[in-house]
Amino acid sequence: MIVLQNVTKVYPNGTRALDDVSLQIEEREFVFLVGPSGAGKTTLIRLINRDTRPDSGSVFVENTEVTRISRRQVPKLRRRVGVIYQDYKLLPGLNVRQNVEFVLKSTGEFNGRTSRWVDEALALVQLSDRADHHPHELSGGEQQRTAIARAIVRRCPILVADEPTGNLDHAASWDTIQLLVRINALGATVLMATHNREIVNTIRRRVIEIANGKVVRDELGGGYDG
Amino acid sequence: MTAKLNVLRYILGAAMLGLWRNRTMTLGAVVTTAVMLVTLAAFLAINDTLNEMVTALGRKSNLIAYVRDDARPSRVTAIMQDLEQRPGVGEVVFVTKEDALRVFQERFFDQRDVIDILQANPLPASVELRMDDPAVLPGLADELRGLTEVFESVAVPLDVVERLISISNVSRAAGTAMIIALTAVALFVIANTIRIAVYARRQEIEIMKLVGATDWFVRGPFLIEGAFIGLVGATLAAIALVVLYLQAAPTVTRIISFLPIATDVSFVRNLAVFIVLVGLVVGSIGSYVSVRRYLAV
Repeated sequence: MIVLQNVTKVYPNGTRALDDVSLQIEEREFVFLVGPSGAGKTTLIRLINRDTRPDSGSVFVENTEVTRISRRQVPKLRRRVGVIYQDYKLLPGLNVRQNVEFVLKSTGEFNGRTSRWVDEALALVQLSDRADHHPHELSGGEQQRTAIARAIVRRCPILVADEPTGNLDHAASWDTIQLLVRINALGATVLMATHNREIVNTIRRRVIEIANGKVVRDELGGGYDG
Repeated sequence: MTAKLNVLRYILGAAMLGLWRNRTMTLGAVVTTAVMLVTLAAFLAINDTLNEMVTALGRKSNLIAYVRDDARPSRVTAIMQDLEQRPGVGEVVFVTKEDALRVFQERFFDQRDVIDILQANPLPASVELRMDDPAVLPGLADELRGLTEVFESVAVPLDVVERLISISNVSRAAGTAMIIALTAVALFVIANTIRIAVYARRQEIEIMKLVGATDWFVRGPFLIEGAFIGLVGATLAAIALVVLYLQAAPTVTRIISFLPIATDVSFVRNLAVFIVLVGLVVGSIGSYVSVRRYLAV
């Protein structure tokens, strides 16, 4: 599903974000990406939706070498990969429903049929009754759930999350992770970068640990600290 | 098909919303474009009038080359045929000695005694040119003066023509410089308006890119906005132009009757259409430049 082969990424300031990283994530897997800040987790996630490119090595998503596709094909890739961020990235001028619809409108896919997808996504994240609220009227957890609804509304087979619980309190973090586990159970491959020790230790899924740009641990059912 | 229509509707809607949110800048850009285009139209009208004048005067001012009595007729015919092929030359007429005498007699018929004194016909035959483009006159005159075995002398009423040509050249140069400057200003203002629009919507753009919107979907609204500004500015300019022309042209023609000002409707109509096209092109280019520079999609 997601394959990295000898990927190296060096930023212009000389930081070696990823250093000869190879890994493979299967369909329907749930994977935690852990490691200290600056270890390369965000870079790895950005490589998957072609938000950045490696200096060497290859990245495959669903058998497509995303490091080789043309600019024109990037939108096609991104429609298959839903992304969730620590800072939600919601549009403040739009309400919950409009934020979710925005994805479909941005790609010209919004119509009567996909309008029902929006209803389903909002129901899944339990925000149907807050659909007409604007982001500033929502709690952090509700904002992140809106972002999750937006990421899954197109029924992407892959969901990547970059510290989705980073700004959330304990209860909201658990709401979020349970939602991601549920989405995974519904068939999506989930890759989640996190610092949340408690969540990783409780959920016990595959854990990939990165330190100084290298994979130092890849353990099925692992804990945060190996 | 409906998906395409949806996309189109979204792009147009986003463009109109963007223009409205940014309305002060939009208005400024529209007015700038309109002023630029009115100036362009005025310059084109003045230039057209000057060109008409030069051409009209050029038609009257013949070049006259006096043929030597001993010149071979076949040589003269050959030269005339050659002249007829030249660019800018309208009509080539041969005036015989007899014709010249008749014209002379008609013009000076109250001085018959002078004519009576003449034993033989002292007037030379001549080749007369009527020009389409007076600009080639000086060169042509020099060339004919070089043919001393054929022509006694060559007369050209150059003064007025040359002065008009130089006025027309100066006006063209000044007008071109002004148009370039004004176009640059209009481009700059439109590009800046779009830049601000891009900046105001940067969050939206970032998210659109991340969720898989195509480049053209992101760019579309901004390109439409620029084109729209150009189009509205141009339409205002075209309306102003038509109104002004219809008001002013008859008055100007009455006061300065010799001015061959282009009063016909088709000229104004063509000018208006041209102005609208220029506005559209300038608007589109302005926004495209901004989108390319500031919208790294």
